[in-house]
Amino acid sequence: MSGDPISALLQDVARQDRAAFRALYVAAGAKLMGTALRILQDRHEAEDAVQEVMTRVWLKAGAFDPARGAGPDPGMGWLVALMRNHAIDRIRARAPLSDDEAAIALAPDPAPRAEAQVIASAQARRIGDCLDRLEPDRAQAVRGAYLDGLSYADLAQRHGVPLNTMRTWLRRSLLRLRECMET
Amino acid sequence: MTTRPDDDDDDVMAAEYVLGVTDLAARQAAEARARRDPAFAARIAAWEARFAPLNDAIAEAPAPDLMPRIEARLFPIQPARRAPWAWLRGLGPGLVVLGLVAWFMLAPARPELTATLVPQNGGPTWLALLSGQDLVISRMAGRGPGEGRDFELWIIRGDAAPVSLGVMPATGMHLTVTDVTPGTVLAVSLEPKGGSPTGQPTGPILALGPLQKT
Repeated sequence: MSGDPISALLQDVARQDRAAFRALYVAAGAKLMGTALRILQDRHEAEDAVQEVMTRVWLKAGAFDPARGAGPDPGMGWLVALMRNHAIDRIRARAPLSDDEAAIALAPDPAPRAEAQVIASAQARRIGDCLDRLEPDRAQAVRGAYLDGLSYADLAQRHGVPLNTMRTWLRRSLLRLRECMET
Repeated sequence: MTTRPDDDDDDVMAAEYVLGVTDLAARQAAEARARRDPAFAARIAAWEARFAPLNDAIAEAPAPDLMPRIEARLFPIQPARRAPWAWLRGLGPGLVVLGLVAWFMLAPARPELTATLVPQNGGPTWLALLSGQDLVISRMAGRGPGEGRDFELWIIRGDAAPVSLGVMPATGMHLTVTDVTPGTVLAVSLEPKGGSPTGQPTGPILALGPLQKT
């Protein structure tokens, strides 16, 4: 794990090393903030969420197991998963938006986001390739859920389909993704 | 992988949790299941690994230095932001009373409210001191939470349901609270590691007591 500084820092944090905890924030804070901000769309709340997640990292770092993580940087993957889960819990706990607010928040993107075309690393190519084999709108729904924290209801509205249709779309897409990635 | 229909259902449920598309109740149900069902937890881990490469598409954003706030919360006796009463933590319960008396006489800014959280169910004793919006809570006597468990702090305003103030390190913490009046109750519960899965106390209440004027 020598090429993976985040995992090494997390293991130090698990041993209650406060200097490592600070170094971890220096190394990963911007990624955590980017993740929180993208899902929550509110800087103040994103800061609260990052603070909460870093607190949990201190308390839970012992649960991180680099051997079980995937890819070249399992530590960052673990942190981003914690951050996404907490940010998504926060938006799911929010009161539903009024129809007008929802219409603004969920207006379709004018152009597909750049990352939908460009997924840089070789590691990423696999899920990228498999997403490309889905119908474009279904791949976009999967990306919207993962990257922007959209719910089934958000996705149904954005794609103009009934909720149950969106559920069926996404569930089938997930099984196809799994099949594609296992071959 | 075998793909019996039941497996597919579980796997889709795990994937929905990782994607985050379901409502809060379904998310909490998935988390609770992952805690007691290692096979389901492994499905979640597998989906996290499948999607993790998409993390590259998440742009970094400038992060302010949140460490002072984070450390003040986690490490109540951190020298950088030492609470004037933090030294009380090191004392036994008898000395604490003596210490508090001395502190009230000497301290330049006294806390407006204090609470002694009285043990229930054989739990520890906690002392809470509120000054402005700064709340310091320290464990004065009794054991830690034990393996695989955490203390969680709750605030109960009037007849409202308990609101979590977060998972608490075993020795206590320093945090900011708002909307506190005399009679507001603080309570500590014993929860699974990482805190209550439901947003309400699920384990035994270990100690509680009202904040009162000093």
